[in-house]
Amino acid sequence: MSEYVIEMNHIRKEFPGIVANDDITLQLRKGEIHALLGENGAGKSTLMSVLFGLYQPEAGEIKKDGKVVKINNPNDATALGIGMVHQHFKLIDVFTVLDNIILGAETTGALGFLKKKEAREKVLALSEKYGLKVDVDAKVEDITVGMQQRVEILKMLYRDNEILIFDEPTAVLTPQEIDELMEIMKGFAKEGKSILFITHKLNEIMAVSDRVTVLRKGKYVGTVNTKETNKQELSNMMVGRPVQLELKKKPAKPGETILKVEGLTVPSKIHKNNAVNNVSFDVRAGEILCIAGIDGNGQTELIFGLTGLEKATAGKVTLCGKDISKASIKQRALAGMSHIPEDRHKHGLVLSYTLEQNLVLQKYKEPRFQNHGFIKFDEVREYAEQLIEDFDVRSGQGPITVTRSMSGGNQQKAIIAREIDRDEPLLIAVQPTRGLDVGAIEHIHNQIVAERDKGHAVLLVSLELEEVMGLSDRILVIYEGEIVGEVDPKKTTPEELGLYMSGAKRQGKEGN
Amino acid sequence: MPRKDPVTGKLKWYKSEGAVAVYSALISILIGMAVGAVIVIIVGLSKSNISSSGIVEGIKLVFLGVFSTGRDSAGQLVFGFNGVNMGNMLFRAVPLIMTGLSVAIAFKTGLFNIGAAGQYLMGTMGTLSVGLWLGWTGCPKAIAWLCAFLVGVLLGALWGAIPGIFKAFLNINEVITCIMTNWIAANLVTWWFDAHEMFKNSAEGGKVGYIIPLKNVGVVTPKLLMDKLFAGSQANGGFWIAVLIAIAMWIMMTKTTFGYELRACGANRHAAKYAGINDKKNIILSMAIAGALAAAGASLYFLSGNTEFYWSTYQKLPAEGFNGIPVALLAANHPIGVIFSGIFMSMLNISGIQLKYLTAYNEYIADIIIAVIVYLSAFSMLIKMMLSKRIKHDHGNVNAEPAVSAAPADDAEAPAEIVKKETKKGGQK
Ligand SMILES: Nc1ncnc2c1ncn2[C@@H]1O[C@H](COP(=O)(O)OP(=O)(O)OP(=O)(O)O)[C@@H](O)[C@H]1O
Ligand SMILES: [Mg+2]
Repeated sequence: MSEYVIEMNHIRKEFPGIVANDDITLQLRKGEIHALLGENGAGKSTLMSVLFGLYQPEAGEIKKDGKVVKINNPNDATALGIGMVHQHFKLIDVFTVLDNIILGAETTGALGFLKKKEAREKVLALSEKYGLKVDVDAKVEDITVGMQQRVEILKMLYRDNEILIFDEPTAVLTPQEIDELMEIMKGFAKEGKSILFITHKLNEIMAVSDRVTVLRKGKYVGTVNTKETNKQELSNMMVGRPVQLELKKKPAKPGETILKVEGLTVPSKIHKNNAVNNVSFDVRAGEILCIAGIDGNGQTELIFGLTGLEKATAGKVTLCGKDISKASIKQRALAGMSHIPEDRHKHGLVLSYTLEQNLVLQKYKEPRFQNHGFIKFDEVREYAEQLIEDFDVRSGQGPITVTRSMSGGNQQKAIIAREIDRDEPLLIAVQPTRGLDVGAIEHIHNQIVAERDKGHAVLLVSLELEEVMGLSDRILVIYEGEIVGEVDPKKTTPEELGLYMSGAKRQGKEGN
Repeated sequence: MPRKDPVTGKLKWYKSEGAVAVYSALISILIGMAVGAVIVIIVGLSKSNISSSGIVEGIKLVFLGVFSTGRDSAGQLVFGFNGVNMGNMLFRAVPLIMTGLSVAIAFKTGLFNIGAAGQYLMGTMGTLSVGLWLGWTGCPKAIAWLCAFLVGVLLGALWGAIPGIFKAFLNINEVITCIMTNWIAANLVTWWFDAHEMFKNSAEGGKVGYIIPLKNVGVVTPKLLMDKLFAGSQANGGFWIAVLIAIAMWIMMTKTTFGYELRACGANRHAAKYAGINDKKNIILSMAIAGALAAAGASLYFLSGNTEFYWSTYQKLPAEGFNGIPVALLAANHPIGVIFSGIFMSMLNISGIQLKYLTAYNEYIADIIIAVIVYLSAFSMLIKMMLSKRIKHDHGNVNAEPAVSAAPADDAEAPAEIVKKETKKGGQK
């Protein structure tokens, strides 16, 4: 028996305009958690897709237990016991959880009828055994992202996979869910399952992995034992230069009020109560105000209410002195609002459009980009090239790359570039660094601070405590649709913040 | 900084997406014609009055019908330039091109317009009524022509807008409303002409149930050289108008901010909304344009003057309305491509007629071929996928979207996909 369950040797994979994997070697031991680290677009997802049979490499070989294997498609991968949770989930929205899990691996009776009962028992047993709580009869469109992920994991377990690939599983999870996932992964490893784990969060790597392989711009940099390294060394390895993990910023100089929210109320789509209930706050020029909270406490609806994506039922919103409570999305944008949306695939991008078309998504009507309704393609190209350069958006073919083919992190960078460049008095940033590598996060954080220093107001929504504490000048905690506290990041602790976020502590009610 | 590899830069033009679309269309067409040939053989073998040479003739006509010039003195089929056939082919292509455009433009906005038949009927009603009426009042023919055309187009636009409005404001699937508006139009048109005796052609004996042709009042499309090019045929300037409209549509979709908006709404309605694009307005406009295009097809067809309209339509929708779907599919929804696929479909019609006149076959063979191509045009997406996989594979790139995509509604190119998506999503949440 070979020392490794999986060996990927000298893998090369090209896409138009780019070598996504260039002579990459990856060796996975049995029962280890092996992290894969690299900048956005370094080729991590591509490498994993090669292992899972979605792409055929131009060169290199894959060995399973020391024997060379050919993986032509995901079915071959499944047959070899390889399973994958994709960066963007692959579930069918209108199917139930159970149907999604058994899809493609159905057991059937004599006449080809599904044996659902057995399947159901197996799924329930697995979910029990690993503590993967799911509602098997719920439709996928109705369950939370965290549960969708557990469904994806169950899919792999249902197929008795022994080699589990997790492509950025934690990017979409809440801190609590992340902790749970880490425990589950450790449990898998103990059982002898081997795990490949992609993440941009160095804390997670330090917490669970045994070894780390680092890629940079499609090339193999090295593999290190987690115990013998640290966060700084890892980030330097992946970026190729020293990265500043701590954000440095000057104290804020808040000016006049840019955004004033009074009694905003937004109904919920899930339950009868309001998702956002009578919320009031101000954001001033030159400050970064952060709305912190556990996911699902009304942050999404609050932002929808502010940006006009959802109708608020009560309350007043004033932007730069103008009442925009009833204004359309467009009018709000024109009144001075830019918005980095939470869901980049749903709202942020038209995936079938090219990068340059996406970069002018709100600007195409400006005189600079059109003449009597005819788009000025040269201007669009020039503008896109500038943004791509400034924000280091990496892709195969530059402005004409179809956005769908770009790596997740670079899609995000494109949106951020577009929104920051609009240069509006108010920047609303929801989870702006989700899925970004440490180098890109550093860059984006600096950009957001620069926006602030320019005298713009920034409203930040983040689930990550580190980002909340590091970036913001003032923190409001939202719990069950209400603001339960305002704290100063310099004077508070993560523990105190946690108490507010979980609803255990509340300002204004303490005295009673 | 974008990393560019000079070696594996852009795809060669013959490997580009557009080229692949053309290949896949051609493959569907070839398979369709081959199936047609097989049917010609089977029918020939099963019929005693068709000899083996008759079968060969049938096959020849299936492929080269437009070039048939009849039989020589020895009774052999002769082929060559046939101005009448060619001209008629272009003439009959006009409504197909227009309904094809109608379907294609709606597709691009993520809508499946199967209401072209109703829109076509509304256009017919408007154009014939206004054309005849203004013709009788003695107003200048050019003005009468223009009014007849515009009223037809306007009625079609209105008819198309109705499913659009239902879709935009109530999120009712446009396929369902289109089916309903089709039949409402069919009945409305019957009722209108039934109630207005003056439009009925009673002068010519044996023409029961027809509307007076527009040539009787002199409101007809000028020939614009077509009579010189294809003497003796029905071809007229309507073909040039259709070509111009197709080019205009292509420019509108690809070069203007309006087209950018329409396509954004079709590709990802949520993102369009986020960007401040008025998605409701665009859905309605897109359907109105689709309706106007289908109606324009009817207007141009009847403004040729000598075409006659059988007004009792309440039991049968015009085939042109539905043939727009394969025309659009074959062209991969490309407005310029629609010109060619429209001409091609019309060519099959001509072949059918040639078969009927020159052999013991009847013209329905052509319908079968069309049906097979309609069927295959749905497959042309599949063929396209297989081809692009192969081409990109050679190129070192299997551009496979991983197995089951659960991404939010984004691309909407094929109608099959749209229908699937509609049933899947149950509309917007
Ligand atoms: N299907 C595709 N077609 C063309 N180019 C692609 C395709 N998939 C990936 N690429 C390109 O290959 C490169 C590597 O992409 P990949 O998705 O593997 O990055 P990644 O390391 O997973 O990044 P991220 O952390 O942002 O997810 C990117 O530049 C991307 O644009
Ligand atoms: Mg990735």
